[in-house]
Amino acid sequence: MNAIDVSHISKSYGRVKALQDVSFSVGKGEVFGLIGPDGAGKTSMFRILCTLLLADKGTATVDGFDVVKQMNEIRRRVGYMPGRFSLYQDLTVEENLKFFATLFGTTVDEGYDSIKAIYSQIERFKDRKAGALSGGMKQKLALSCALVHQPSVLLLDEPTTGVDPVSRKEFWEMLSMLKERDITIVASTPYLDEVRRCERVAFLSEGRVMGIDTPEIILDRFKEIFNPPGLENGSRFKVQGSSDNVIEVEHLVKAFGDFHAVDDISFTVKKGEIFGFLGANGAGKTTAMHMLTGLNQPTSGTGRVAGYDIRTEHEQIKKHIGYMSQRFSLYEDLTVAENIRLFGGIYGMGSEEIKTKTDDLLRQLKFEDHKNDLVGSLPLGWKQKLAFSVSIFHEPAIVFLDEPTGGVDPATRHQFWELIYEAASRGITVFVTTHYMDEAEYCDRISIMVDGKISAMGTAEELKRNLNQPDMDHVFTYLARQATRSSD
Amino acid sequence: MRQFISFVIKEMRHILRDKRTMLILFGMPIVLMLLFGFAITNDVKNVRTVVVTSQMDHLTQQAVDRLAASEYFTIVKAVSTPKEAEWMIRSQKADLAIVFALKHQGAQFIVDGSDPNMAQQWTTYAQQVVANPSVSLISQKLLYNPRMKSAYNFVPAIMGMLLLLICAMMTSVSIVREKERGTMEVLLVSPIKPLMIIVAKVVPYLLLALVILTMILLMSSTVLQVPLQGSLGWILVLSLIYILLALSLGLLISNIAQTQFVALLVSAMVLLLPTVMLSGMLFPVESMPTILQWISDVIPPRYYIQAMRKLMIMGVGVQEVWREVVILIGMTALLLVVSLKKFKTRL
Amino acid sequence: MIKYLLQKEFLQIRRNTFMPKIIFIFPIMVMCVMPWVMNQEVKNIRVDVVDIDRTTQSQQLVHQIEASNYFIFNGQKATYHEAIKDIETSKADIILEIRDGQYLIAANAVNGTKGSIGSAYLSQIVTSRQLILYSQFSILSLYNKGQNYKVFMIPALMGILMMMLCGFLPALNIVGEKEKGTIEQINVTPVSKWSFILAKLIPYWIIGLLVLSLCLVLSWLVYGITCEGSLWLVYLLAILLALFFSSFGLIVSNYSDTMQQAMLVMWFFVVCMLLLSGLFTPTRSMPELAYMTTYVNPMHYFIDAIRTVFVRGGTFPAIAHQVLALSVISSVMAIWAVKSYKKNS
Repeated sequence: MNAIDVSHISKSYGRVKALQDVSFSVGKGEVFGLIGPDGAGKTSMFRILCTLLLADKGTATVDGFDVVKQMNEIRRRVGYMPGRFSLYQDLTVEENLKFFATLFGTTVDEGYDSIKAIYSQIERFKDRKAGALSGGMKQKLALSCALVHQPSVLLLDEPTTGVDPVSRKEFWEMLSMLKERDITIVASTPYLDEVRRCERVAFLSEGRVMGIDTPEIILDRFKEIFNPPGLENGSRFKVQGSSDNVIEVEHLVKAFGDFHAVDDISFTVKKGEIFGFLGANGAGKTTAMHMLTGLNQPTSGTGRVAGYDIRTEHEQIKKHIGYMSQRFSLYEDLTVAENIRLFGGIYGMGSEEIKTKTDDLLRQLKFEDHKNDLVGSLPLGWKQKLAFSVSIFHEPAIVFLDEPTGGVDPATRHQFWELIYEAASRGITVFVTTHYMDEAEYCDRISIMVDGKISAMGTAEELKRNLNQPDMDHVFTYLARQATRSSD
Repeated sequence: MRQFISFVIKEMRHILRDKRTMLILFGMPIVLMLLFGFAITNDVKNVRTVVVTSQMDHLTQQAVDRLAASEYFTIVKAVSTPKEAEWMIRSQKADLAIVFALKHQGAQFIVDGSDPNMAQQWTTYAQQVVANPSVSLISQKLLYNPRMKSAYNFVPAIMGMLLLLICAMMTSVSIVREKERGTMEVLLVSPIKPLMIIVAKVVPYLLLALVILTMILLMSSTVLQVPLQGSLGWILVLSLIYILLALSLGLLISNIAQTQFVALLVSAMVLLLPTVMLSGMLFPVESMPTILQWISDVIPPRYYIQAMRKLMIMGVGVQEVWREVVILIGMTALLLVVSLKKFKTRL
Repeated sequence: MIKYLLQKEFLQIRRNTFMPKIIFIFPIMVMCVMPWVMNQEVKNIRVDVVDIDRTTQSQQLVHQIEASNYFIFNGQKATYHEAIKDIETSKADIILEIRDGQYLIAANAVNGTKGSIGSAYLSQIVTSRQLILYSQFSILSLYNKGQNYKVFMIPALMGILMMMLCGFLPALNIVGEKEKGTIEQINVTPVSKWSFILAKLIPYWIIGLLVLSLCLVLSWLVYGITCEGSLWLVYLLAILLALFFSSFGLIVSNYSDTMQQAMLVMWFFVVCMLLLSGLFTPTRSMPELAYMTTYVNPMHYFIDAIRTVFVRGGTFPAIAHQVLALSVISSVMAIWAVKSYKKNS
């Protein structure tokens, strides 16, 4: 008997067809991937499977039970982790975990083995409120909460968005352990390495199944979508001969109580450079970025951004930088054009200038048709491209990007990096954090933060050579595994 | 059962962690009770009075002395022409002027009539003081509330309002917040039954409401010295029914509202305001136009407050309030059924 | 720069499915319903008469009670005891017992106002029959000649509406941006604190003034009540009050983490301010300590001033004191609102 049988499922929201005649089946104990670009209908599919949503047409069974008629049976057997799994912000890490464990009818002790690899990294913070965790750590806690019980079918909707590569590996190792216990797993992911770890994958696009097969075959068949040709790093026009440092940081420290989130870091970034700021979740990247952008005061140390002191001239700095945060940061209830106009205006651009530049920008992004759409109605990848374009709309000296491509599909990420290159070629310095190691290779220079300190810095080539590792993935894993503070 | 308990504990934590909300929740009843008990009175007191008389003779002097002696009036000035007195009222320096006619052939009262109610009372009181009926034929008796404390009227009203606010608003917001943050999805898919989710959500607020109810009752009998005339048991039973009703209302709001913003506005503006205004909490239902009386017929707190006034203050037996009890139970049942029916077990 | 921020705020208000409805329907509802409700005119008091004497005089008295506007004659009862039963079951509010030429008035005083006014009226009727002196009393009421309670309440209602819309909506606004995370994006831009806060405040002032105009029109259309004094003064007062409440809302918002918190804190202060403002009850009958609070209560100044203008037709000198107090309090609040907004922590 198949664990999941889906036949001819269709679902539409108003005029938008989310799913059209989707059929597939998943065997017992199989690891099955649902992949496809944003808006392909993956989330709708998950919701139908876990009985949260009623399909318009078609039938589906999970573990032999019908998703419509035998809702309660399914809910007793299924584990579900929604894309935006959200924790209780005012409960501590431990309380969250305990609550979800009891909710699923088990205890933390019973389920500890299955979450150990990931939970041990955040256990140190178990008395901290979930709201005070960094983005990636929240996701790890959410994963722990979702995995603490052992259902017969596990549905995971993009579980690793925003999680660093090392933890992602550990997560998938945990999943294969679960598989050995005959647990069926359906997961969606934008990461290609994760796709490869599935036994079979279904590729969805615009609500239709385009193909179901092993990952190799699917990735090969749709390679122009999944494997866009790499960006030629050398082909980029580099701002030559610039030796001006636009960011200079010396002995920067940010302490919250006796916890040093950023612990004595020093580095410089040159004009026009693309600087990759890497590190595991909770290593202190976002905190460091908040200090550079003038959102936070450093505890000690000095720094200059675009020639201004980060302690005293933060309002000056803000005039010369662009910023795009992890959390999507445009106003969802304004249209594309209105958002551009707002941020253009905030940076003191004139109406005429905004108008002409808006048209240029929309043409470049091929967004002309969506000029008057509400931003909230756009797919994630589009929003991210738009948010980036808005953050450099006023031609800042530096743009800070905090995990700009989290959860975005490969093709869109490719386009996103083309935008970054284009900006860099105009002389804009790019300061970017990412968890995609292929993106790390696109950067001119990389620093890797571990436990609040910078443990390695240089070009991708230099890092690989110095640490004697074959690729960036290994470099990162090698360094991040040396971390002590999140696992003691 | 373990799931249920841990769910309740989780809800309790949410409530207890939010220090500011807690402060307001417990501070509000105390402050309101104190305000209504001591500060808010409709008493006629310290009315700024001007005496107009051309020549102060013996009888007039006596009348003025009586005025000055009463706690109702404060004589601010004595002037000689009505014009001056009127000017004083117009410039907001006095509220009432008494023009004594020559040879005690009566008197004219000039009053700031912008508040007709108070103006009425001022003149009635002033007339009585000035006329000073030597032999009183009338004895007055104020039943249930001999010292004319507004607290007698307002304690049941505060109970009606606060219980509704806490139960309806807090419950609806706590459910909608889970929807908004996405945790509801996980709760729904978990093995716990939807009914259990609701009950677990409601229990902490029920407890909270009971604590606040106890607080109000204690304060009213100790600080405000409003005696509890009726049977405590029935007061509690009736309050419990009312709390249940408010909780079902909160549940209903949470079914309609998708965002906390809407839930808050609905409970604060659409629910609370009519309650305060139309339930007879502050303004007597009898003096409203008929249409509004009809509307007020369907407002649950009206019956609760009515019943509480009778039970607590007048001390009548429960048989005198059976009508209110039946109506409240009926409304609770109806709301509960509707809100449970409408509770979405899917997205 | 502020132009763009303002545009954003307006667009967001317009896009919100709920806000425009609240802004228009709420005042209309309040203006059409509340004046009827807040009618504290004591009317239709039900009287039970226990006439033991059964004289012509007492018969006449009963007729007089029946004829009065204030009373409804509920019936003759044989004994006082029987009448008390009526009170307990809420069938009657007042008992008049006539025995041996003596009158006993017993009123249900659970609602103090009703009880005391009722018994005052009743005793007035009784005494006026006994004492000729009363016929020589005359009453001259200045302002509000029609003795219309609505005239007294409508300006106060405008204050309540301004408070609700200019206070609660901004309070929820900034917390909303905090909860959504968009405030972080604004904080890394060079927007100055003043223009950010101003852009948040101005829309609500405009809304406040719109609502006020709507109220003025409604009170004229529905009740035929117009402002006795200058409309400019009404608007001046309204602007000052809007400034106060919107700043206050933003301060609460700046210090709150969740919408629920902001709402409850606002609610608490607003209720206290309202109750102590003299809107429902005269401030002068408050005890000393409570009366002191009215010196810092902007609502008190507003209610006082707007009644002077609207009902009594006062001119600027008559309200100069209140205008000054309101401006000082509001400016302090506005500065505090800006100071409490932190772009850099």
